Amino acid sequence: MSESNKKISLISSEGEAFEVSEAVAREFEIVAHMLEDGCSGSSIPITTVDSNILGKVIEYCTKHVEVGNVEGNSEKAEKDLEEFDKRFIAVEMNTLFSLILAANYLNVKGLLNIGCQKVADTIKDMKPEEVRSIFNIENDYTPAEEEVVRKENEWAFQP
Amino acid sequence: MPFKKMVRELRGRNKAVGRSHIAPEGSSSSSSSPSTEQSIWVDLPPELLLDIIHRIESGQSLWPGRRDVVACASVCRSWREMTKDEVVKAPQLSGLLTFPVSLTQPGPRDAPIQCFIKRERATGIYRLYLGLSPALSGDKSKLLLSAKKVRMATGMEFVVSLSGNDFSRSSTSYIGKLRSNFLGTKFTVYEIQPPPVYSERSSNRKLPPSMRVSPWVSSSTQSYNMASILYELNVLRTRGPRRMQCIMNSIPVSSIQEGGQVHSPTEFTNLGNKKNKKKSVMDFCTGNMGGESVVKEPLVLKNKSPRWHEQLQCWCLNFKGRVTVASVKNFQLIAAAAEAGKNMNIPEEEQERVILQFGKIGKDIFTMDYRYPISAFQAFAICLSSFDTKPVCQ
Repeated sequence: MSESNKKISLISSEGEAFEVSEAVAREFEIVAHMLEDGCSGSSIPITTVDSNILGKVIEYCTKHVEVGNVEGNSEKAEKDLEEFDKRFIAVEMNTLFSLILAANYLNVKGLLNIGCQKVADTIKDMKPEEVRSIFNIENDYTPAEEEVVRKENEWAFQP
Repeated sequence: MPFKKMVRELRGRNKAVGRSHIAPEGSSSSSSSPSTEQSIWVDLPPELLLDIIHRIESGQSLWPGRRDVVACASVCRSWREMTKDEVVKAPQLSGLLTFPVSLTQPGPRDAPIQCFIKRERATGIYRLYLGLSPALSGDKSKLLLSAKKVRMATGMEFVVSLSGNDFSRSSTSYIGKLRSNFLGTKFTVYEIQPPPVYSERSSNRKLPPSMRVSPWVSSSTQSYNMASILYELNVLRTRGPRRMQCIMNSIPVSSIQEGGQVHSPTEFTNLGNKKNKKKSVMDFCTGNMGGESVVKEPLVLKNKSPRWHEQLQCWCLNFKGRVTVASVKNFQLIAAAAEAGKNMNIPEEEQERVILQFGKIGKDIFTMDYRYPISAFQAFAICLSSFDTKPVCQ
């Protein structure tokens, strides 16, 4: 396990360096691929992610690597991790969005998973108008289409 | 296709900033114009949006939660396209009913969709709900269709509507009707959807232009003869239980032959096509009841013959616990293997398969379980025919 002691610097869009163990950096699949492709440099620029978000993504990955390394007592560890995920993703919508984009770009599957699930859980109870306002989506239906949509909803909301 | 379109739309909406580009907080681009309040969510890559809608869909397979999926399809065109084309599968594949149009699409091939019907004697209204029974489903039941019985000079008519209280034939909630002859021995099911066109089988037949239109540009809401239901006369009451036959004019017998398919609509034709409303009303006035079947060899359903139970001294059918009260209305429909002396070439296991089962479970409560290749609307119409009293058939 000597590999995991190796440190790698991840550079945010502002140029700030975050030093992490290779194991944590490998949680970013994009970084893992770079390392496998023989990119031996010890600092990797993550130009599309700012310090605030990169810090959070690293926090997430560090926690998951830590828990993943502990053998035994797995049930409790898993539960703790679930709790951690729940707290971690309970952020306001703009941060959530940035986290999802970063997770998508860096290919951190676990984080992308909980992020998308969080959005799904948040918007599933919303009215279409609320979703439109959050996503800043224009209602682009013609009056005829609008009528179809209205009918569909009327039917769907009949108990 | 929808993806590309979406990407285009997203790009169009936000030309200044790349889709995957995140502006750090406090930088010039995000703080420059607080008045416009441009949401960053427009930058969400379409594949992630699709993932999110998938999550909503898979988490809400039961009603009333299922309406969240309908709400997703209401947000805007691109969300609608994604939800309808990529996420929600037809009932035949998913076993789920989501949009009203799914009521006119064939049911699942394996497990039937289980519904129940409530009869309101005072108003002559029949309501079809998704669910096992009023007692077992509770809040989880979902009103699918309603029908109102109307007495006509020539017989009975059941008007079927998406709405629970609007039975006007000119309403956009109207989806079809069931009409009986004077004796109540013959019924015809009319649906506002044009019957599907089976190009490979019917290409040599000239179809009237009105049937070739694609759903969204359909020019009328005329009714089409989708099925005929015949009850055998049994005047002397010597032949035991009722015998019925359903000729499914819109479903070819090939649909249940090996590898068979049913072409079904993906959008309603009457909803929201108001500009042509006048014309369709005219069609009704001139008595144009639409075309006849476009299927050369329609599927024929017949009721499964019950066995005479010596000990109970009655006719019995195995309803697998879904029917609990003996009634003349109870029936199970299977595919008729031979018609007019002609072997229909239906695989044996398909001949055994109950396509529609209907029966009484309590006072004014009945169960209705249907499956491929018939739709909820067709199943409901067939069941409604069983409600119309016909003493000569019993």
